[in-house]
Amino acid sequence: MTVEKNYIDRHLYDHLINNSRSMLSVINSNYCYEKVNNTFCKYHKCKKENVVGKSLIDIWGEETFKNNIRENIDLCLNGNIVRYEANFQIPLYGERFFEVIFRPLPGEEGNITHVLAETVDITDLRLAQKAVNELEEEFRLLEAHLPVGMLRCSPDGTIIHYNKTFSKILENYEDENLEGLNIKDFYKEKSIFDVQMLHATDEKISTFRRVPIITCKGREIRCRVNIYVVTDKETKKPLYADFAIEDSTREIMIENRLLQTKKMETIGSLAGGIAHDFNNILSSILGYSEMLLEEIRENQSGTEMVGKIIKAVSKARELTNQILTFSRQVGQEKIPVKICDVLEEAVSFAELIKKPDISIRKFFRDIDAQVYADPTQLFRVFINLMINALQAMEKTGGTLTVTQENISADQFRNELGKSIVADEYTVIGFEDTGTGMEDSVMSRIFEPYYTTKDVGNGTGLGLSVAYGIISELDGEITVKSVKNKGSLFKIYLPLNVDLHPPESITDAYNKKVLFISCYNHELRILCSALKKIGFAVDCASDVDALMKLSGDENVKPDIVIFTQDNENISSDILSDYLMEKNIEVPVILITDSSKDLSKEKLVNSGIVKNVLFKPVSLREIIASIQISLNK
Amino acid sequence: MAGILIVEDEKDVREMLRDALIRRKYSVIEAANGKEALAKFKASFIDVVITDILMPEEDGLKVIMKLKELKPELKIIAISGGGKFGPVDYLNMARTLGADEVFTKPFSLKKLEKRIDELLTS
Repeated sequence: MTVEKNYIDRHLYDHLINNSRSMLSVINSNYCYEKVNNTFCKYHKCKKENVVGKSLIDIWGEETFKNNIRENIDLCLNGNIVRYEANFQIPLYGERFFEVIFRPLPGEEGNITHVLAETVDITDLRLAQKAVNELEEEFRLLEAHLPVGMLRCSPDGTIIHYNKTFSKILENYEDENLEGLNIKDFYKEKSIFDVQMLHATDEKISTFRRVPIITCKGREIRCRVNIYVVTDKETKKPLYADFAIEDSTREIMIENRLLQTKKMETIGSLAGGIAHDFNNILSSILGYSEMLLEEIRENQSGTEMVGKIIKAVSKARELTNQILTFSRQVGQEKIPVKICDVLEEAVSFAELIKKPDISIRKFFRDIDAQVYADPTQLFRVFINLMINALQAMEKTGGTLTVTQENISADQFRNELGKSIVADEYTVIGFEDTGTGMEDSVMSRIFEPYYTTKDVGNGTGLGLSVAYGIISELDGEITVKSVKNKGSLFKIYLPLNVDLHPPESITDAYNKKVLFISCYNHELRILCSALKKIGFAVDCASDVDALMKLSGDENVKPDIVIFTQDNENISSDILSDYLMEKNIEVPVILITDSSKDLSKEKLVNSGIVKNVLFKPVSLREIIASIQISLNK
Repeated sequence: MAGILIVEDEKDVREMLRDALIRRKYSVIEAANGKEALAKFKASFIDVVITDILMPEEDGLKVIMKLKELKPELKIIAISGGGKFGPVDYLNMARTLGADEVFTKPFSLKKLEKRIDELLTS
């Protein structure tokens, strides 16, 4: 019985050992194999008798033995269980991964004489692990680069995990660890979080729009927050909440801009319509007044009164003209303009009128930037913004900073969310340290007749005219302001690539124009614009100018433009001189609507072919020159 | 005496122009829109046309084109309350289409009358 049982036991052990999926061997202290199982032989493609008695050097080679095996066997012979992973060539499969375990095997006297080596093929496990790692890495990258902020937090708001985008949305640029902080602390209203959690319980995604969030930098942004709460299946208690957060700031900005544009369009077409009708009414008032003036001229009484009606009409006309400019119903004569030249003139004008406790700084970066515009109109816009800035600092003094730089179309699109018309834009900034304004004021300042100044201190049309002029150039005018800190106006204009002069005036090439005027900033701009178009322009501000008129034919001007602001030459002196010398040159008079022209000799004598009222646009002066020359 | 056709949908302006030009002893024909103007136009009688631009039933630009076709030597003065609506610069366009002069409202009657005289003598 015992013999039989022993036999069965031995067979059973042999069976177990030989069918193990591990290679098993017994190694003695001389590093020789004493026993190996079938699996060992199978992997090594050899027979037991060819291995038993051989040294490990014979099987593995001297190098592998010395570098990888001996040390571990020695450790094991000292009584340690040694476990390590290694890859090596196996005759049956080639390169495989193995886990090797050396267990000390005590002899009869209790001391360790042998090592039991078990080598398990873990290649499949390793490959599976590798696949999982790759998958995990892929997911991690996806999550990190997802354009949506991801956040997992506990039901009380403690942050468990978040992705890069979330960190970016919160302006965590120093990459501080946010784990463990409470998301509630980033909410402007902490209670909103609790309300959201209450709403987001039944395992559906709940969306909350425009949630006010305070970033790490203390800035308030609006976010779209999607929440999915995972609950315990049995207790129904929330386990954690997954957030998907998107920054809606840009979306809101574009929406506001669109709304603003639409509003301005509506006001523009309304105001433009009224101005158009009003011009019709003014036409008949002016026409009948002129007829009346002729009727009563004989007996003189009443001429003065009719003169006042005419003066009022020209004032009204100036107003309707401004409204038409705002509603973009006045065409501009556009020429290539170096923006910094106009800016320099505007700044030096502002230098003259500013109070001593205000300083003006200028930083022009791309001084060769050219835009396609009417420089006189641009000058108007710049002056308007600078006068506003100076007025805002009237009581406190301060600094007006004028800047200019070019930006790419992409930057333009990013800053304004507006479609682009050029590859590059130039940006002009006017920043003051004055009174600033409330948001409610800021959103309305470009509307016509919206003014915060005291009655009589402004028409309330300046900024709306500026808005019209800049919009007509496919540009954009924006404002940022903080109450009691100051305001920043920015003008964006598309940079000119196609530098051709306007077609309508090529017939006026090389005509000589003599400007008689105080040589002021506005005029300098007009002069250089006329030069650019092709006129030969001469400017004069004193009696010497008159000499030029009587000179020889070669230098004689074809047309004289006379502005009625000249202290050296009055219009009477000019008219007397022209009549005395019998010089017949058409004269264009530039004046302002407050002047009474009915008694002007220059006008009544018929020397003046055309009267223009300030502010004169390039288009007006060109049309006027053309008409005067064609006669 | 020279004949003038006034095309203007705004009654007040039309009548003012009529009154002023009759004072200057011109023969005047009035039309309230472009369609009426084309119907009333007589090449043998009309020397100068003063036309508004934005009008119902055929605008001033069409009037300029059609009348210049009918009578190339015709003198045309375009008048308008606003130079531009949307992207179109109407007064500039009127000039391109053949208007000899353009005036924006409100314009000086004296200037207009002077220009008519000049156009008639040229």
